[in-house]
Amino acid sequence: MTCKEVQKVLPEVIDEVWQAELQNHLESCPACSELVADLELIASEARQLADSAEPPPRVWLGIAAQLRAEGLIREPKAVPVPVAASFRSRWSAWLLVPVAAAALVAGGVLFTRKPAGPVAITPKVENPAQAANNHGSAQTSQKTANQVVADRSAPRITNPPAPDSVPTEMVSNDDDQQFLQEVGTRAPRMKTTYENELRSVNSYIRDARAYVAQHPEDEDARQHLMDAYEQKAMLYQMALDHIQ
Amino acid sequence: MTDPKQSKITESEAIERAKQGDEAAFEVLYNLHKRRVYSLCLRMVSNPAQAEDLAQEAFLQLFRKVGTFRGESAFSMWLHRMTVNVVLMHLRKKGLPLVSLEETIETDEETQKKELGADDVKLTGSLDRLQLQRAIDKLPPGYKTVFVLHDIEGFEHNEIAAMVGCSIGNSKSQLHKARLKLRDYLKSMRAEKAENV
Repeated sequence: MTCKEVQKVLPEVIDEVWQAELQNHLESCPACSELVADLELIASEARQLADSAEPPPRVWLGIAAQLRAEGLIREPKAVPVPVAASFRSRWSAWLLVPVAAAALVAGGVLFTRKPAGPVAITPKVENPAQAANNHGSAQTSQKTANQVVADRSAPRITNPPAPDSVPTEMVSNDDDQQFLQEVGTRAPRMKTTYENELRSVNSYIRDARAYVAQHPEDEDARQHLMDAYEQKAMLYQMALDHIQ
Repeated sequence: MTDPKQSKITESEAIERAKQGDEAAFEVLYNLHKRRVYSLCLRMVSNPAQAEDLAQEAFLQLFRKVGTFRGESAFSMWLHRMTVNVVLMHLRKKGLPLVSLEETIETDEETQKKELGADDVKLTGSLDRLQLQRAIDKLPPGYKTVFVLHDIEGFEHNEIAAMVGCSIGNSKSQLHKARLKLRDYLKSMRAEKAENV
């Protein structure tokens, strides 16, 4: 078998068991052998991309809203909101605004600071129950961190931030609790949804932050961290729109 | 992201409860399949905003029809095919070719020249996944469709041929050329990176 013949049959046999004739040629021809090895490598690596991207929380929120609008979600009985709570929540909803802004600022800081030396960041330690629930399990956490950078094609950033400039607690756990309490008071049926989305986006932020710490020069990683903070700000904004 | 309460529900239980309009059950099903569905959409259109819309549409179509699901086939397969149909419909509406036009333009000789005339940069070892994704994004729409459906999503050539409306031979040929193009792109990226170091 010649190289030319190999090229001709390759589309047919690339996924099949190698015929002896072809195998013999590959053993004696480095060029064809390298070609086949490369194509097999591409095909095998491609399999790893099947579930590599995490959709942002707004996808589920949009689906849930549409299902509700179409009457496909059975609404539980409405719980009457006490007058005092309603009065309190009217003004306290405004607290969500600065929190959402803080999340955006947290992301914005990533693109404004000058680089410094690589300093390790200790990821925020959450309670075990929450950690176990983020993205299914702790086992997938590292995988997710690696995949975070690969989810989107990101714009170039000219002034990369240093890992030690990444804010760790711009939006604190207390803020999240207050956010959920507010949603629970104003829109009890949505509380579980927002709780899950908040958990997901916090996990996304944590993974992205850990990856930036490990790869301080990776522009895509920083872009994904920015995206994660934007998603959190968007989640707060959506809640605000929903309950007002 | 799965809630502990949700994780106690099996997929089949969630399907039955979703038929009754249980929001938590819909969410369980969404969480089980969201990455696969969104990743498929993202690879096919290479645009996060469009991928979000398409993933949303695929899930909505599924949930609207969940009452008709009788379990004859795997739920994931059902959703998977629905997602592919949603994406292919989107590509058709945009007027993008599902089968690459390059297939009819390129001669055998040109293809062989490309295959044998590879430069000195080697891919052997491991591939940078981010680079691979970028290379896939650069593929012409037709090549990308077949490559994503076969190599990433695991569809067989006869299934792809039926879905996109081409012959099995054409699907094989497109896949092979897509892999060759990816090889070229990846080698160029690697060479570029080496120059910059």
